[in-house]
Amino acid sequence: MINKLKDFLGFDIKAEKYKLSSDPVFGMISDANKPDKWVFSTCGYCGVGCGLYIGVKDGKAVYTKGNPKHFVNMGTLCPKGLSEHQMINSPERITTPHVRKNGKLTPTSWDEAFSKTADEFKRIAKEHGEKAVGVISTGQLLTEEFYTLGKFVQLGLGTNNYDGNTTLCMASAVMGYKQSLGSDGPVGSYEDFEKADTIFLIGANIADNHPILTLHINKNKKPNKKVIVIDPRASKTSQMADIFVPIKPRTDLALFNGLAYIVIEQGWENEGYMLANTNGYKELKKHLQNYPPQEVANITGIDVKTLYELARQFVAQDSVLSAWTMGVNQSFMGTDTVSAIINLHLLTGQIGREGAGPFSITGQCNAMGTRETGFTSSLPGYRNFGDTQALQEYANIVNVPEEIIPTARGYKYAEIIDAIDRGEIKALWIVATNPLVSFVNQEKLRKTLAKLDLLVVQDAFLGDTAQIADVIFSAATWGEKEGTYTNSERRCNRANKAVEPIGEAKSDFDIVVEFSKYFDGVNEMLFPSWKNPKDAFDEWKKVSKDQLCDYSGMSYELMEELGGVQWPCNEENPKGSKRLYTPEIPFRTKDKKAKLLCLDWFPMAEPACAEFPVILNTGRTVEQWHTRTKTRSIDILNDLAPEAWVDINPEDAKKLKVKSGDRMSLSSPRGRVNDVVVRVTQSVAPGNVFVPFHFNTQLVNALTNESFCPKSGEPNYKQTAIQLHSSEVPDGLEFIKDEISGAIAHVKTAYEGVRVQEKERTV
Amino acid sequence: MTENMQTPLESFIDYKADTGSQCGNYSIDIPKLQEGEQYRFHFDATACVGCRCCEVACNEQNNNPSDIKWRRVGEMEGGVFPAFTQLLNSMSCNHCVDPECLKGCPTESYIKIAETGIVIHEDDTCIGCQYCTWNCPYGVPVYHEERKIVTKCHMCHERLDVGQSPACVQSCPSGAIEIEAVNIKEWLERDIDTQANMPFLPDARITNSTTRYTLPENMPDKMKEMDEHILKPAHSEMPLVFMTVLTQISLGGFLALFLGDVMSLFGFESTNWIMALLVMMPAAIGLPLSALHLGRPFLALTAMKNIKTSWLSREALALGVFTSLMSVVVALYFLELPHALILALEAITLAVGIYGIYAQSMIYRIRARPSWNRRTTNMKFFGVAYVGAFMMGLAGLILGVTDAVLPLISLGMVGAMAQLFFSYEDARTLDTTAQNEYQLKRSSRLLNENFKNIKLFRFVSLLAGGIFLPLLVIVFIHSTSIAFMALLFSFILIVASELSDRFLFYSTVVPLGMAGGFFVGKQR
Repeated sequence: MINKLKDFLGFDIKAEKYKLSSDPVFGMISDANKPDKWVFSTCGYCGVGCGLYIGVKDGKAVYTKGNPKHFVNMGTLCPKGLSEHQMINSPERITTPHVRKNGKLTPTSWDEAFSKTADEFKRIAKEHGEKAVGVISTGQLLTEEFYTLGKFVQLGLGTNNYDGNTTLCMASAVMGYKQSLGSDGPVGSYEDFEKADTIFLIGANIADNHPILTLHINKNKKPNKKVIVIDPRASKTSQMADIFVPIKPRTDLALFNGLAYIVIEQGWENEGYMLANTNGYKELKKHLQNYPPQEVANITGIDVKTLYELARQFVAQDSVLSAWTMGVNQSFMGTDTVSAIINLHLLTGQIGREGAGPFSITGQCNAMGTRETGFTSSLPGYRNFGDTQALQEYANIVNVPEEIIPTARGYKYAEIIDAIDRGEIKALWIVATNPLVSFVNQEKLRKTLAKLDLLVVQDAFLGDTAQIADVIFSAATWGEKEGTYTNSERRCNRANKAVEPIGEAKSDFDIVVEFSKYFDGVNEMLFPSWKNPKDAFDEWKKVSKDQLCDYSGMSYELMEELGGVQWPCNEENPKGSKRLYTPEIPFRTKDKKAKLLCLDWFPMAEPACAEFPVILNTGRTVEQWHTRTKTRSIDILNDLAPEAWVDINPEDAKKLKVKSGDRMSLSSPRGRVNDVVVRVTQSVAPGNVFVPFHFNTQLVNALTNESFCPKSGEPNYKQTAIQLHSSEVPDGLEFIKDEISGAIAHVKTAYEGVRVQEKERTV
Repeated sequence: MTENMQTPLESFIDYKADTGSQCGNYSIDIPKLQEGEQYRFHFDATACVGCRCCEVACNEQNNNPSDIKWRRVGEMEGGVFPAFTQLLNSMSCNHCVDPECLKGCPTESYIKIAETGIVIHEDDTCIGCQYCTWNCPYGVPVYHEERKIVTKCHMCHERLDVGQSPACVQSCPSGAIEIEAVNIKEWLERDIDTQANMPFLPDARITNSTTRYTLPENMPDKMKEMDEHILKPAHSEMPLVFMTVLTQISLGGFLALFLGDVMSLFGFESTNWIMALLVMMPAAIGLPLSALHLGRPFLALTAMKNIKTSWLSREALALGVFTSLMSVVVALYFLELPHALILALEAITLAVGIYGIYAQSMIYRIRARPSWNRRTTNMKFFGVAYVGAFMMGLAGLILGVTDAVLPLISLGMVGAMAQLFFSYEDARTLDTTAQNEYQLKRSSRLLNENFKNIKLFRFVSLLAGGIFLPLLVIVFIHSTSIAFMALLFSFILIVASELSDRFLFYSTVVPLGMAGGFFVGKQR
């Protein structure tokens, strides 16, 4: 009572709680959160891979501070990184394993969770074959965990129906690199942003998604520096551009073919480089005759003059860097678009030099780790499935029988879902991903997952997918476990454990190793005397030796000392390598030459039409991470973007009689999303809208289409024909046909596009 | 990079990251301030990518909860796709040369540090009156509910003092926020008008803001703020609604008392102690009520500290004295002391009261709040005095001093008509094309959309209670019970009317300030 009165009268202004005091490492900081120790680590959100320190006080993470000595971020962090310690203590954390009993998820012991899952996996394997168990993992684990998990799934469980959410994100880059250059592996370095004369940002909204990369672009003080942003949406990133190219949705492949046409037409190729390092010029030259500038202008909506100006960059400037992310990858022709970009760089010799190269910016903190070690799109160390010699090599290194190593890639993500739908896959083990927000065509997915005999979710957070699981393995998260993350520029960074895992949670490494003990002989064969992640790392170093992703020269200590090490790191390059395909690092094809590929552009299978006249583009916002499991409880982030919104051009808003702040519904042939708040903005063209995909409250993936890149399996998230419904105009917008001279050709190829797509998918 | 880096124990304070800017570094490179210089922020809107690192870093640095933002990022846009300009404004405190927060603060809790020019807030003496949150045209000071005081950006002066970078500067990945030294004279004489302004920010000259802005070239003429759709009523300040109206009624009542006392010189019935007590009551109730709006009521008396520059201090002191003098007047009546003495004291009291209400109305004549900063505010504040005449009329009727009733009611009716006119003018002049059109129009929307029923009540009750019912009283003046009932009802109506008008006054103000965020608005 007296305290209440005192409080009312304002005696206590909580000065203690809000005072600052001096920390020997970072200077004056909040006294209440002044750590007892700072732990060197790396951010666990995106693929930029920022170095940081985790402040720990009384066994709790209380601060995250950028490491000024780390080359990637030089002391800065994005808003998610700055508040990352709050993520560990999120109320959404799953603190114990759970098993569904009488329809209800019930906390249980690890032993029960493991035995139940192991028994079911064994039963299903016995009744339906080992491949009836599917696994979908992530880009969020540590490299050691990916290697351990992949090894266990493929060699222990014996199923190759194993893929990751990386297929929703980087798979097209992987397959594009593979088909053009002979191997996966991002070519460039962040340093190239500082050294390039021209930087193309293609379908990459780095301002929202990789803000720390702007640091490197800003460091580039060259007077002739040009930043060219190619995006159908005038995103925040478009504001950084010297030239903003508002390309029509999903016409990028045509654009790059068109630029290649101009390069050849004008004789702007780097003949010396091309002859010495590539194959397929003649075929490409012939193929490109289908992409003359006027035709490309019609397709892309970019005038001929601008096309010439863009192509000219490749000769007018010494070094050209093309960086891309989801706008390119998340497309029906994602793989080929990546290759079309690479074509341009090969033609002009803009590769393997400082400031030059095609460069994919990775989405997740360790999508790279799973690509290299994870057994999904290749055997560890980028060894191709089906390469007998590579298979034998791997078997010898790790001392396992050759027969248990898969010879072919299993189902990709979407194919796993289809196989569940068909009843072929009976059990699904999902690791650190949340398909019930992130995958396409949600309504169908939910029905499909219900067909499973067993759904196991291994996650640190109780996301939408975990809520329907039969078994939950409660995982530790960033800061609670150790290992390495590899970022977009092949930099392997050390992540240390700062605090103990919450509750009963275990690191993903421990989960897999302990779970393997429930299968006869598996632990002994695969993980002999493995105790901690370093055991996996040591094996991985041996496995990767002499491969493109060579880790053999790395050690945890070296990573801390140098602020990450870029592979290949071996005896020749003891401190790592800044870029690939320099004169010392040949292409990974048999003849060591890169391939110039003939690639075709197809219009959308589901273009805007009378019923669905608007093209929906989906993407992210800087405050949220993926399906928000990590960020929705961090108030300072969530308050800034607490729900999905729809960006709509004022022209369309006028027709729909809506204004900013009103609510609207969106529908596609697959579903409807209600109650989306309207944001009227000139950042989108009329007939186009943008909605972030993070939100389970306005599940925009209920609308997106099951159209996948036939080569990478990556969904075509970025373009969906939809209709908008406001309360005043419930029937929505009218379809306005394009009035361009190439309209006839457009319709023709549209027909072919659909046909080719169907053909590809039935293979 | 040194060999064998000893992590994590090594200090990063002196380490210089190779960012080519102040960003990323925990220590800062700026020349020592010369004579006539101060520190300021530079914000480069062409570099900012809207990542909001600065907002989060600021809160992490100061342990502030997510709803207390010292640094905020606003979004604006203009142009037509694809020639589209997005403009961002990351702003904390502008560390003005002439800070309004400091001038208005009744407890002198703001200090502009002489050596650095940084405007800091002294937490210990703050009483949480929040007057600075009204005065700052940028909406910088923010009331911290948990702490019961106002808090604000202090440019991390405790870091700067020892050569360390402010958190926002350190965290910006695009180097858009920097600390600079500025020569105050040159700034005010030469650069401020071209370098200190930003769309949706008030004119930098109001407070002589020091923040330097770099804006994009060829910015579209017409920009819109992305939180345009968020129009929420301001805080209704209920304790102040009552305090201001009650003290103003007291002043009116006291004026009537004084006039009555003067009239008694000419043989009219004389005023008495009950009447004196009655006119004192509203102020005596109202003044302490105002302490309730303070975060720290126990320090309420310190509000009188800054007589020199704060209208709030002046009001507190003058109305305090006014109320005390009124009680002395009551005592003089009660003790039946000489009439001349009473009359003299009444004159003094009245003068103090008039000054008190003037000071009270001047509290709201601030440039940061356009709908308050109009002459009609002063007029309406004094206008409430007519209620005091009716109150005295009612007292006269009850006490049987009937010959005073008619003049009082007539006086009250004249006052009510004047108040009606002021109120009408006040609402009418919101729709203007003059300065601050944007904010005034939004106030008008709040008044005519959000609060249209209260507005209707205000005018109907004023007409009925201030004019029609008093007419009834005049007609039935000899039928005491009808007259009494009508006058009582009239009195209740006009008090309710004035309270509702004052509620509208507080609730419909739309302050100047920065553009906000689409979801979070201005975060104030």
